[in-house]
Amino acid sequence: MTLVKTVEETLEEGLVLKVRGLDVRFYTYAGVVKAVSGVSFEVREKEFVALVGETGCGKTVTTRALTRLIDPPGRIVAGSVLFRRKNGTVVDLLKVPDEVLREIRGNEIAYIFQDPSSALDPLYTAGYHIVETLIAHNKKVKRSEAVREAIRLLKEVLIPHPEVRVKNYPHELSGGMRQRVVIATAVANKPKLLIADEPTTNLDVTVQAQILDLLKEVQSRYSMSVILITHNLGVVADVADRVYVMYAGKIVESADVFTIFEKPMHPYTRMLLRAVPNPLKKIEKLESIPGTVPNLINPPPGCRFHPRCPYAKNECMREEPPTIEVERGHYVSCWLYHRR
Amino acid sequence: MDVIYRALCFIIDLFTSFMERIRPGWIERNKSKIDEWKLMAYAYSKSPIAVTGGILATITVILALFGPLIAWEPYWQYKVVVNPDLWLKPPCLPPSCSGYPLLGTDEWGRDIFSLIFYGYRISFIISVMVVVLGVPLGVILGLIAGYKGGYVDEVIMRLTDIFMAFPGLVLAIAFATILPQRIRGLLDASPQLKDFLLWIFALRPQEYGQLAALLSIFLALVLVWWPTYARVVRGTVLSVREQTFIEAARSLGLSTWRILIKHILPNILSPIIVFATFDLATAVLLAASLSFLGLGPQDPVPELGFMISKAGRFFPERSWWIVVSLGIVLLLIAFGWNLLGDGLRDILDPRTRRAIEVRARAKARAKAAKVKGG
Amino acid sequence: MGMTKFLIRRLMTFIPTIIGVMLITYIIAYVIPTDPVRAWVGGEKLLNPEALEKVRHKYKFDAPWYEQFSFLVISLFTGQLEDPVRHKLVVQELSYRFPITVEVAIFGFIFLVLISIPLGIISALKKDTPIDFFVRLFALFGSSMPSFVLYYFLILALFVYTRTTYLAGVPLPSTACMNMIASYPESIPVLGHIAFYIGQVPMFGAMMCGEWDVVVETAKRFYLPGLALGLLGGGFIARLVRNSLLDVLSSDYILFAKARGLPKTWIWRHALKNVLVPLVTVLGIQFGGLLAGAIIAETVFNIPGMGRYMYDSIARLNFPAIISGAFLFALIYVTINFIVDIIYALIDPRIRY
Repeated sequence: MTLVKTVEETLEEGLVLKVRGLDVRFYTYAGVVKAVSGVSFEVREKEFVALVGETGCGKTVTTRALTRLIDPPGRIVAGSVLFRRKNGTVVDLLKVPDEVLREIRGNEIAYIFQDPSSALDPLYTAGYHIVETLIAHNKKVKRSEAVREAIRLLKEVLIPHPEVRVKNYPHELSGGMRQRVVIATAVANKPKLLIADEPTTNLDVTVQAQILDLLKEVQSRYSMSVILITHNLGVVADVADRVYVMYAGKIVESADVFTIFEKPMHPYTRMLLRAVPNPLKKIEKLESIPGTVPNLINPPPGCRFHPRCPYAKNECMREEPPTIEVERGHYVSCWLYHRR
Repeated sequence: MDVIYRALCFIIDLFTSFMERIRPGWIERNKSKIDEWKLMAYAYSKSPIAVTGGILATITVILALFGPLIAWEPYWQYKVVVNPDLWLKPPCLPPSCSGYPLLGTDEWGRDIFSLIFYGYRISFIISVMVVVLGVPLGVILGLIAGYKGGYVDEVIMRLTDIFMAFPGLVLAIAFATILPQRIRGLLDASPQLKDFLLWIFALRPQEYGQLAALLSIFLALVLVWWPTYARVVRGTVLSVREQTFIEAARSLGLSTWRILIKHILPNILSPIIVFATFDLATAVLLAASLSFLGLGPQDPVPELGFMISKAGRFFPERSWWIVVSLGIVLLLIAFGWNLLGDGLRDILDPRTRRAIEVRARAKARAKAAKVKGG
Repeated sequence: MGMTKFLIRRLMTFIPTIIGVMLITYIIAYVIPTDPVRAWVGGEKLLNPEALEKVRHKYKFDAPWYEQFSFLVISLFTGQLEDPVRHKLVVQELSYRFPITVEVAIFGFIFLVLISIPLGIISALKKDTPIDFFVRLFALFGSSMPSFVLYYFLILALFVYTRTTYLAGVPLPSTACMNMIASYPESIPVLGHIAFYIGQVPMFGAMMCGEWDVVVETAKRFYLPGLALGLLGGGFIARLVRNSLLDVLSSDYILFAKARGLPKTWIWRHALKNVLVPLVTVLGIQFGGLLAGAIIAETVFNIPGMGRYMYDSIARLNFPAIISGAFLFALIYVTINFIVDIIYALIDPRIRY
């Protein structure tokens, strides 16, 4: 896996993760899919970041690319991912050797996936997954200690009768319990960054709320940073500190959660908010966004949103808009806000 | 490959215009189905495995049908009696020996090459009969078992359990051993059946005695074949039955049979076609195995497995060419069906079908780009 | 654990199946054509009609059908059925030949696993490369090749290469060794009985006594049929391994395992154990098929096992022998499926319910 070009940067104080110019492509028979093009964002210590967008906009690919979890025919073509490790050192995750990456995964950066039923190996018990993750990163731990820690973790994620559940197989647990087990496995080694990919989408609504609360709880207890992928704006309003809006493989707007809901700038963000009931505002009528998500093999020239944008102008079709800071901490990538 | 695609499209077009003639508007109503067929034809033409299988299978069918007419030497003449020179003669190429058979002879002095054409016919007919009878039998029983459920289901399932408790060959042996006697009675009673069988296997009336053996192989195999299909079909019926669209059909008052035929059967048709194609290959081999063990027809009937087993006695110095040539024939027959089945499996599954199409178009684009650039 | 409940449930289906097998055997036995006696006593030659009558009476061919029926069946199950051609008790003959067929099947199984699993893994890792295509063709070849043809081809190759053809007989451990093994049930508690049965298979018996020359001879004798059996079924199993492995490697739990930073070997452990689940079932079925295939293999390679017994019996229309043999085959097959189910339940906790 070779990188075409990287940008030398430093990681500022207070930042846990800094991504610059991430470019991921999939080389398929149908053509080259430019899934993620020039994505840049940051995550601060203890910050809860939401990555929002429609299905297929590249959110999942972006987060997987952070720890090089991209398999062929996908390839990380360019970019840098600076990460501050537990011991304070700063590394570029796209450049470190495989062994270092393995140490970081599961130990300093953890993932929670969308479908808890398939994330757990059906042939192994819940407890085994946790114990496995513990021992993989702490070779000196004895098995009995790890099991005790697993039970403690299960109790922390609010699973009743953890001593019994630790020996259960995934098919003996409900969807909500499985997700809790996954969460327990993820935080077992007290990572600095937790990446949750639509953790509640496959669960019942009531369970969704519980899991979200659990995530918040876990975040504050372990002082973690969290990247939450979701297409549900209600969830964003509930838990996020900061929001990044993605469309067609690019980040189109980013701001703190209040600003995004009160003063959305990018046309896509605005239409997104008008399509969903907004707890912070009173809207008369829900509107859908006309058109469909673009084909990423041949994305539209210029701004990728222009075919669906009601404010599209000539320059939108010719050139990609730059990212500008509209106000402090609020970035938009749209020609509407850039005066030549 | 293009030729094949165009040929297949031509056939599809013939069919659609015929349907249009008897039922106007048919093409409009079935447009998406026709498109899928054309896509299947395209995928077929682009799959080397499917095409090769198709060619081999076609050769098999042609040789089977016309073999006995092509064969230049009758199988029932024991030439060695007249010309002792011909006893187990190894193959030889002209010009060193002309006038002698190309592929050698067997212990009766018969030309092996000529025997192959007869053998094709017999093996092919048996396998076709087994599949044509065994598969529908199993499918129907499976449909009944799955749909009716209850007592009928239990009985049929226990039957399949018991039949499947025997390894295939063993069960076939057991049946093939005891059936000939019973069948002889049946054949004596019905001369039309006898004549029909003689004709279809291209045998002389003198070989009437061997018919019982041939028929018993066939019946034994049918009995071995049906349980697998019954099981599979029943499983599919059970899963489809619970789906809502069946409930909807039932609430509309459709009768059981209608539901079975119009809704359930189309869903299982594709896998059945694939399995049946593979089974044509397996049936050929199993029939040959039974003949090899002596359960089939005896001399002079030129059954491939039987001839190989006879050759075994003189093996290897005196009869290797018999084993090699007849063995390759059996291999080619089975191989053709297996290739075709494997190719069909990819084509009939909508996902892999599209994958083949995408890949083929990408290759074509790459080639066009190269031609332009180079 | 649900294991015991599962075992009980499985036994409940095992027993009726065995009974059903017995039933089919009954029915086949009933349908035996009358008067095969001529063939038994040597064919068309005119014989002492008294002798013919004696044999007929012994096998109750002159009795009404229900007597024939019950006679055959009862003698089958009490082991009293006598082989009319070989003049020995069927049970005796089979008990001698059965371990030999087991040896053939074991060699076939070893080669099958050795060939198919590495090929399957490689073709999964190198998906869509020429190797993958070759394995696919190999699978198709294996199911297209008539077994006896392959055996003859291999013998031909061996003949051309080394000028050795037919070996005969089966290497056996010494009588002293067999006596020692016979004493195991008394001398060693519990395991002694198991050891005794394992020791009946000549190769294992020799291993237990340390008679390694016998083991080597056995390998020399059986590697060819074993290789052939492995080649016939290997491609199919390789494809299965390939497809399972591809499914497993693209699953979420493997992704999760990678995301957790597990070492590569641990990830492979997850993957292979999951592949084992469908594999075990298929291997069990294949082993049963190997036993059936032994019939032809033993005929061609001249091995005096159960398969050869069947072949010789067919030639002489020796129905009692054929039926006993078929029954034994079925019994073994059902037992193997039973064991496979148990192993399957041991590996996969989901099916214990």
